[in-house]
Amino acid sequence: MSDTINTATEPIPAIAIKSLTKSFAGVQALKSAELEVRRGEVHALLGVNGSGKSTLIKVLAGFHRPDPGAEIMLGGEPHEAGSASAAHAAGLRFIHQDLGLIDTLTVEENFSLGTKSGRGWLSDRREQKRVQAILDRYEVDIDAKSLALELSPTHRSILAILRAVEDQMGSDGIVVLDEPTAALPRDEVHQLFRIIKRLKATGVTIVYVSHRMPEILEIADRVTVLRDGRTVATAEAADLTLDSLVKLVLGFDLKALSRTAADAELGDVQLSVTGLTGDVVEDFDLEARAGEVIGVTGLLGSGYEDVLGLVFGAAKPYSGSIRLGGLDVTGEDQAHRIANGLAYAPADRKHLGSMPEWSVRENLTLPDPPSHRFMGWMTKRREVAETLEWIEKMDVVPVETEKVFATLSGGNQQKVVMGRWLRMQAKAIMLDEPTNGVDASAKRAIHLALREAAANGAAVIVSSSDIEELVQVCDRVLVMGDGRIRAQLVKGELTDDALNTAVMTATAAA
Amino acid sequence: MTNDTSVDPGVDAPLAPATAGPAPASAPQKTGGSWTSKLQVNRFSGIYLWAALILLFSLWIPNLFLTNATLQGIIADQSVTIILAMGVMVALAAGQYDLSAAQVLGFAAVSTAWLISVAKVNPVLAVLITVVGCAIIGLINGLLVAVVGINSFIATLGTSSIVLALTSLLSGDRLVGPVTDSFKQIALAKFFGVPVLVAYIIVASVLVWYVLEHTPVGRRLSATGANIETARLVGVRVKKYIVVSMVISAAMASLAGVLLVARVGTVSSTIGPSYLLPAFAGVFLGTTQLKPGRFNVWGTLLALFLLATGVKGFQLAIGANWITYVFNGLALIVAVGLAVVFERRRTTKVKDTPKVKDISN
Repeated sequence: MSDTINTATEPIPAIAIKSLTKSFAGVQALKSAELEVRRGEVHALLGVNGSGKSTLIKVLAGFHRPDPGAEIMLGGEPHEAGSASAAHAAGLRFIHQDLGLIDTLTVEENFSLGTKSGRGWLSDRREQKRVQAILDRYEVDIDAKSLALELSPTHRSILAILRAVEDQMGSDGIVVLDEPTAALPRDEVHQLFRIIKRLKATGVTIVYVSHRMPEILEIADRVTVLRDGRTVATAEAADLTLDSLVKLVLGFDLKALSRTAADAELGDVQLSVTGLTGDVVEDFDLEARAGEVIGVTGLLGSGYEDVLGLVFGAAKPYSGSIRLGGLDVTGEDQAHRIANGLAYAPADRKHLGSMPEWSVRENLTLPDPPSHRFMGWMTKRREVAETLEWIEKMDVVPVETEKVFATLSGGNQQKVVMGRWLRMQAKAIMLDEPTNGVDASAKRAIHLALREAAANGAAVIVSSSDIEELVQVCDRVLVMGDGRIRAQLVKGELTDDALNTAVMTATAAA
Repeated sequence: MTNDTSVDPGVDAPLAPATAGPAPASAPQKTGGSWTSKLQVNRFSGIYLWAALILLFSLWIPNLFLTNATLQGIIADQSVTIILAMGVMVALAAGQYDLSAAQVLGFAAVSTAWLISVAKVNPVLAVLITVVGCAIIGLINGLLVAVVGINSFIATLGTSSIVLALTSLLSGDRLVGPVTDSFKQIALAKFFGVPVLVAYIIVASVLVWYVLEHTPVGRRLSATGANIETARLVGVRVKKYIVVSMVISAAMASLAGVLLVARVGTVSSTIGPSYLLPAFAGVFLGTTQLKPGRFNVWGTLLALFLLATGVKGFQLAIGANWITYVFNGLALIVAVGLAVVFERRRTTKVKDTPKVKDISN
């Protein structure tokens, strides 16, 4: 990444925001925040949940009107924030986490939803050619005729970005990417980065919002950090290290808080899996003891992402046996496994892990609603009391049992889900990507809860693609490649570098 | 299609400025803050509406409306619909449409009448045979949905036609009946001037309310309907609950049919389907009342009496039959429309956008 763009004269910034304040019912979400994005750079916007980052984006998008006194310039022109169409006319394009693709339509049809070539008669063939030409120009391996649901998550993101960019934006446009890699497998992130670099090369300005710090250092030219509604710093990415970046975002040093839970003595075997085969997984063995946290990782497609579902029985394995605390549950259904102490929290909280429209209370007590022995009568008072106990224990914010689950932040949703299984006193707790889409401080809280669960006698198994997470929280990590366990790293040898290397070589060997 | 949508309007896109179109950003929030939110907060709106209807007819046609006969008529008409609706609601709570319920009701009515008047079977046995037979129809519905995997809408649409055929076969397409006078007492008896039908309504409602809203079984059943995948992953045996809900729906429908034949004495094979719409309208309108967003017993009951009052009042005032259909049809559409709007408002209040009017400038 070279600095070849007009550094000689003082260039007009693509975005210049000064004294931006936004209050909701007297509470200031943004306190005189500032942001300056240079034309043609990749500018990362960082901050934990509640830092004002998303409010700032929403002001730009025209979703919120700022408080009076804000100064917003786009390409040197004053911009009247608060109108979506003005933002669009000024060349701003937003890619949200919900990409807005329609699964059952083809790539070409999805493309045409946003950008229509305006001649009255729509010809599929002509549109297909046009879209394919665009995809080819960016050297993306997507067939315009395939259905959106057939695409990989990475290709879906790329499709959404290209659709936005190709919608009459022009090369002086600004693309705002909101957590573009949150749902992407790690080894495919570079594909997205290639597209971003390519757009940057054509002069497009990119604002990049993400929680994943290492990739920000990789892709961003400059970084602006928001904390508590204020702009804390704007810095060149080259001048930052991972540690200094984390410190900027959190306002404190994460290392100072490293593993506090006492290293519990390992207890009895809670879960043992032998010869599990199904999906791409082959011959998976695992013996999880009370008190340990075990990680399972690998590249996407290595089978690490399927293992927990197979163990739980969410997907049917072809063969293998599963024992829970000595009891064979191989042929039993999920209800039976749960009754015998197994718990599973899938990565997709919205569709598989919760009743989004139900209250926190109902979500928390779901596997076993508290009921009176006499005719199973349930009283709300007792359920509320029990829920309060757990959401306080799990530090869910706000402490409201009747809040609709979907309105909680990702971190708090995950805390409720964990509370659900801790309440069930599960012997073995399995979690898929437990901190996906969760901000840094909630992530910390979830990691502590995992350690605590282990210390209280559960076996915890985490399947994750987040290397730092695994190193921080696990006692040992199984690395999978091509469906099989290829390596195991235990506490002493467990470092980011060692684990990264193991993941890469596990695939190379296969 | 507007050309200012760079992002397709996903229903729950966290920040969807593009969907707002050219309107100023504060506009949708303002409208959101006024009438819809008041309606949403006001989960008792049905009670006010009911009171308003009663007041309207009391002033409009006091001599016809404010009579004991009107009250008795509403209770008699609604007792059958309420019992049917309670069953249909159980299936809906489990996420399944039982479109065959009304035809099952018709079949049960014809079957009871036929067993008593033609086959001369003991009335108690006649009812027993009928209810068990209908439960088997429900079981078949449940298996088609849960085991074979047919969408409940389609499966019950199919079985409904087959049940109609059975009904037609049994009745020979003639009126069946009459049932004995002693059997009629099931529906016509009164205790201290209060029709026994009131007791049926109360028993059916309390029973369904208890199981659906106050036991773990009901919670799991509702979980099956709310999100079947999550339900499965927290250990709910979803297939069992689907089958059971369909059996309950058919069994309740058959009881409603028994009640109907006891009330009218003689029935035809086509008597069932006219009960379908009022039952569904009541259940869906019920989801906007008392416990918004949920299938709930007291909301449904309120809705059904609200609808019955409106229908009866207009019938008396205008004296035309078409008003019934208009009223029920409109109620169903309005009910589902309101439910959809409420649900959207309830679940998309993201933390960053408190529901406050934008008071800048």
